[in-house]
Amino acid sequence: MVNTPDKVSPLADLAMPNRPAGRQPQVELSERLCDSLVQVQAWPGTMAKVHKAISDVTGTRPAKGHAAALKGPVCIMPAGPGRYLIEDETENLEIRLRAAIGAHLGAVTGLTHGRVVVAIRGEKAAWVLASGIAINFDPSAFPVGDVRLTHHHDIGVTIHRTAEDAFDLYVFTSFARGFWHWISTAAEEVGYSVG
Amino acid sequence: MRITCPWCGERDHQEFTYRGDAAAKRPAMSDESIEAHQAYVYDRENPDGAHRELWNHTGGCRKHLVVTRNTLTHQITLCEPIGPWAKRLKAAAK
Ligand SMILES: [Zn+2]
Repeated sequence: MVNTPDKVSPLADLAMPNRPAGRQPQVELSERLCDSLVQVQAWPGTMAKVHKAISDVTGTRPAKGHAAALKGPVCIMPAGPGRYLIEDETENLEIRLRAAIGAHLGAVTGLTHGRVVVAIRGEKAAWVLASGIAINFDPSAFPVGDVRLTHHHDIGVTIHRTAEDAFDLYVFTSFARGFWHWISTAAEEVGYSVG
Repeated sequence: MRITCPWCGERDHQEFTYRGDAAAKRPAMSDESIEAHQAYVYDRENPDGAHRELWNHTGGCRKHLVVTRNTLTHQITLCEPIGPWAKRLKAAAK
């Protein structure tokens, strides 16, 4: 994914050690800025029309239940009843969604600069997350492709399980440094590398 | 204490914000009786046993629920979705 030059990472000046000495890294941590991240909230009676608008703009519809819908670079994550978090590589996603979803259908909020994605991958990824996030990470309760909205020490985090051993964590930009500090400290016990 | 959100599933209560007694009904704004507004803001039953109360899932879907909690044991017997999304929340819980 191409990051635009005007986006500055909140983690840019952090020292990111490759891995604690003496340990074979069992997880890899990395950071990603979204090219576009937009929240769409339908009104209680407009869900069908909002789904159609999202489909017209992105080429795919929201999936059922808690699963993310993926098509090419587009990822539509459920974020509550009638609410979706949509990521795309194009810069103008917010403008296009706003044009398709007027105020009579729902609310469109640009979050591109408000979230940072911290990704964790590796055999011990769920184990590291479970040390600070109180949800069930067993694949039977949290299947691959599903999304969970939860807290990490009172700070909201949206978790997309992209593979059995890989998670994308959408955290608030202003809390990203604190989150990185936590996850890298938690990962020290199993060893980590920075991708 | 764990609360089962109809949308998000069973979660630790720290993800939720307590919003008070679900039985309290606000008087109409045209009601000029000071006593009625005073009672709405301050008077609570404080029962021992089952208590219906509002909780917001601030750390999840951000929807309000009516939770029936035993004030002596903290046992939660019911989590009901309310508001305009209640029907979809009920369907999601199945
Ligand atoms: Zn919830």
